Amino acid sequence: MKQPSRRWIGIIVLFTTLLILLTFITTLVKANSPTVKPDEQSPPPDWLLIQSTTVQLEVDHPVILPVPPNTDPCLHCHIVGEETGIWTPLARWFLFGSMGLIFVLGVYRSASVWRSRKPWKPLTKRSYDWVDNRYEISEPLSKFLNKPVPKYATRWFYCLGGITALLFVIQGATGIMLAFYYKATPEAAYASIQFIESEVRFGSAIRMIHHWAANGMVVICIAHMARVFIMGAFKPPRELNWVSGVMLLVLTLAFGLTGYLLPWDQRAFWATTVASEIAGALPVIGDVALIFMRVGWNVTGETLSRFYALHIIALPIITVLMMAAHFIMIRRQGIAKPL
Amino acid sequence: MAEKHVEDETIPFYPDHVKTELYVSIGILALIFLVGILGIFLPVGLGDPADPMNTPAHAKPEWYFLALYQLLRYIPKTMGAIAPVIAVIVILVWPFIDRKPDKSPGIYKKRLFGVVIVTIILVAFTILGEVS
Repeated sequence: MKQPSRRWIGIIVLFTTLLILLTFITTLVKANSPTVKPDEQSPPPDWLLIQSTTVQLEVDHPVILPVPPNTDPCLHCHIVGEETGIWTPLARWFLFGSMGLIFVLGVYRSASVWRSRKPWKPLTKRSYDWVDNRYEISEPLSKFLNKPVPKYATRWFYCLGGITALLFVIQGATGIMLAFYYKATPEAAYASIQFIESEVRFGSAIRMIHHWAANGMVVICIAHMARVFIMGAFKPPRELNWVSGVMLLVLTLAFGLTGYLLPWDQRAFWATTVASEIAGALPVIGDVALIFMRVGWNVTGETLSRFYALHIIALPIITVLMMAAHFIMIRRQGIAKPL
Repeated sequence: MAEKHVEDETIPFYPDHVKTELYVSIGILALIFLVGILGIFLPVGLGDPADPMNTPAHAKPEWYFLALYQLLRYIPKTMGAIAPVIAVIVILVWPFIDRKPDKSPGIYKKRLFGVVIVTIILVAFTILGEVS
């Protein structure tokens, strides 16, 4: 491939930087100009009035109204003082994004040829060689990547375990997003879920994904287990792999149990009550199990707090360690051969 | 390094196997994306706020505990609580009991039969728990 001359690269980088600066300054000017005067805004909805009138409804639980709509723009994407539409920030993201890409590309190309009198080498190759010189990763890496996999392992029912792992990653990503807004107290939990569903951009989509991927994970986990059982892949020498897999299934169910309480609605509350009652019926350790789950004799805010901590800290750590063990054992032993 | 796959046809882990897994992942991600779009229009939603004083008529656990919940109606509570523990322990130690290597593919059908029976029982109990 013929190299573009260094002068042109320099010119492009300079030009891009200037353009980005110019655009940014233009946006700042626009943001600071008083386009919307305070007295021209439409009157805000009477949230206080609504709140004071609807308490008298004929329901036996306190009415929790959705949070008043935010009249200020969301500062994730909007600059203070500009109009609240989505198109301005979107266009700005697009513009700055593409310029940034061009800039990064320019830096990449420049750095690749920078001060070298040797033939051109991509930056990726250069960094790889740098690491390889120091830590000698190339041999173990190629061993890892070139490990032969039997051809039968690409049939669809061999993918179930991988799908479970992928769903776990999706649960992690969407779970972190939900945890940004969720508040694990009995007073605020319900309202924070309402906030996620109504106010947070794509909040309802994220919650939907988290909800259905959780159910799908249980189903596919059991399907994977059934596949392994039917094909006899648990036979020696793979006993420990089976044991770790069963533990992962139990962990998945524990995730489901703890996560189900978090919305703090009637369904969640009584589902947890019933489930912990079953645990409380165990002989000898029943009471201890019940008190461990509920933190007391009843499901309270303490239970919510404990389930939340288990759901987002303890269980993920144990699951990741167990998954690592599961995968390393598969790599060492290879995929079981069908008859 | 339990078995040798020398006589089998093999493919390299990278790029062939990784590519297959990548296609599967893209498919699943597309599905997840569709679920997300659906979520914008039909949110998961919430029931009434939790009220410890007000027991609803049908207090039920999650669907994967429904079978156990239904079982508890037929047998004493203590046994119903021990049953899942025993089941998990049996499943855990299964490979240490059933140690003989498989001889013929016929065993697959037997195990499939067993799995189908257990699945049918569990699904039946779950449905019973759901409708009752």
